[in-house]
Amino acid sequence: MPLPLKGTCNGMLLTCSALVTAWAEVEETLKRIQAHKGVIGTIVVNAEGIPIRTTLDNSTTVQYAGLLHQLTMKARSTVRDIDPQNDLTFLRIRSKKHEIMVAPDKEYLLIVIQNPCE
Amino acid sequence: MFGDGVARGADVESLWRRDQGTRCEAKSCQTEEISTVEVAVQSHSSRDAGMQTDQSEESIQDLDLQKEAPVDYAGLLSFLQGVEDVVIKELNKNWISHAFDGFEVNWVDQNETVSCLHNLSYPEAQDQKLQVTSISWNATGSVVACSYGRLDDGDWSTEKSYVCTWNLDRRGLNPKCPDLVVDVPSSVMCLAFHPSQPSLIIGGLYSGEVLIWDTSRIEDPLIWRTGMTDDTHTDPVYQVDWLQDSKHSHHFQILSVSTDGKILVWQTERDGQLTLVEGFALVAQQIPRSMKLKKRTRGETAVGVTSLSFSHFDPSVFIIGMEGGYSLKCSTAVETAAVPRTGSSVPLKAPAQFAFSPHGGPVYCVSCSPFHRNLFLSGGTDGHVHLHSMLQAQPLISLQLSKKYLFSVRWSPVRPLVFAAATGEGEVQLFDFGKSSQKPAVSIKQASAQTPVYCIEFNIKQPQLLAAGDASGLLKIWQLSSDFIQQGPREMNHLEQLANEVTD
Repeated sequence: MPLPLKGTCNGMLLTCSALVTAWAEVEETLKRIQAHKGVIGTIVVNAEGIPIRTTLDNSTTVQYAGLLHQLTMKARSTVRDIDPQNDLTFLRIRSKKHEIMVAPDKEYLLIVIQNPCE
Repeated sequence: MFGDGVARGADVESLWRRDQGTRCEAKSCQTEEISTVEVAVQSHSSRDAGMQTDQSEESIQDLDLQKEAPVDYAGLLSFLQGVEDVVIKELNKNWISHAFDGFEVNWVDQNETVSCLHNLSYPEAQDQKLQVTSISWNATGSVVACSYGRLDDGDWSTEKSYVCTWNLDRRGLNPKCPDLVVDVPSSVMCLAFHPSQPSLIIGGLYSGEVLIWDTSRIEDPLIWRTGMTDDTHTDPVYQVDWLQDSKHSHHFQILSVSTDGKILVWQTERDGQLTLVEGFALVAQQIPRSMKLKKRTRGETAVGVTSLSFSHFDPSVFIIGMEGGYSLKCSTAVETAAVPRTGSSVPLKAPAQFAFSPHGGPVYCVSCSPFHRNLFLSGGTDGHVHLHSMLQAQPLISLQLSKKYLFSVRWSPVRPLVFAAATGEGEVQLFDFGKSSQKPAVSIKQASAQTPVYCIEFNIKQPQLLAAGDASGLLKIWQLSSDFIQQGPREMNHLEQLANEVTD
């Protein structure tokens, strides 16, 4: 086999394994969060509001993703309007039945729904 | 000189024919054989066909995770690694926090009392001293229908009765004048509105027939009937219901329950006839007995079924209450045939799977909990209500609510721990397992102590409304107080705890 091809072959293999490792670690992290006491569901949403990982069923996921994406944007603009040097770090919504936690970021949103059963 | 003479004429032979002849040729001609082909032509026969889209449930957006733009796993991983610690810290804090204990927010005006909103009656039915036998709310929650008849009469009466509907959301509501009155030739014992089409309603008669009316048709609301065939019930029909077809979700079949021991499933046909599709029959010897029940019954006697309730979690499981005081757990997915009895066009099956410990008298009502798959209530003439779990024969809780009979028991559609019971003393009792498991939370006095309340129904769309019909022919709509409408934060857990008190 000519050397350049072998080199690229190796290069490709390396990227593949790096990809697999990243994917495996993402799944591990989500599993750890999901395994915590009282957690009902975990959803990861991208910057456009489209869910990319979820432990709930389709219709519920789409509903949560859409609504909470909008709410997070609104909360963030509220914080920054009050003080432009400030920014949103975490959002918690407590309802009668459970608590929704949203961890925002530039590119992603992590939504965790917990039933804090005291 | 001149003499007569005859001159011979001159003959000139004609030559033209010979000339003709030399110029002519002999020719012959003949038409060719006419070729024929057999062809058949036929006009099309056409038929009108209608197309309709299925009644769809909430449109679910298709979430296809595979087809999304390729996810940048490295970026996602770094994001998750950053937030994981924060989120886990908050989750743990939440679990042990007492910050919100006892913290309740009131978004709506709190209504502290139970009040009577409407007193509906039909004067002609009251003149005949008819009683309210059954109530049903329609699919939209704005129309209530009630049927009149007699529950304390044992004769085969040919007295005609009525089914009346009132639309409570209409402005010109006249409590003494129903929006629609249907004359029925025999007493109507039970009613059931269609779960999604707001105008279809089934009624089961004292004569054993099952009729379906369409309340949007003014001239003749009757659209389907079973008629008096060999398949029809031979005893009064005490409960009817709509069964959703598992294969076609918009297609419904009709279920009827009667004291002749049969549970029949009917299908609507085009000519206005209801035909029997499937059936179950209960025979004494096929009732399963658990070890604690020692009663022995004669072999092939039919056992009368007075009430039925489907499980909200498993559509093939249902509970029936019987005249003998037993409640049985049954399944539609059985294969064993019932002991053969004459006169049925469809083979009947024996559905019973498990028997629960009996009441001290006939069971008049059973109701499966809409919040827990194993719990159900049964009430009967001994005045007791039993809370059963489907996993054991003995009841979990047994309450005496009345010294007379109990005619109807219903779980609340919004509060998992609440149920209502209609007693023979003219009261509707609302029980809350969360407050007290000994006495009712609220006791609504509908009528005097001699007039029993025969039927109650919660309105699923407007959960603050409860309709109750009594023996004086009055249908009262009660508005419940706010604590019966809103679910408390730990009710489901309490219910789970109750259900888990199963012994052995």
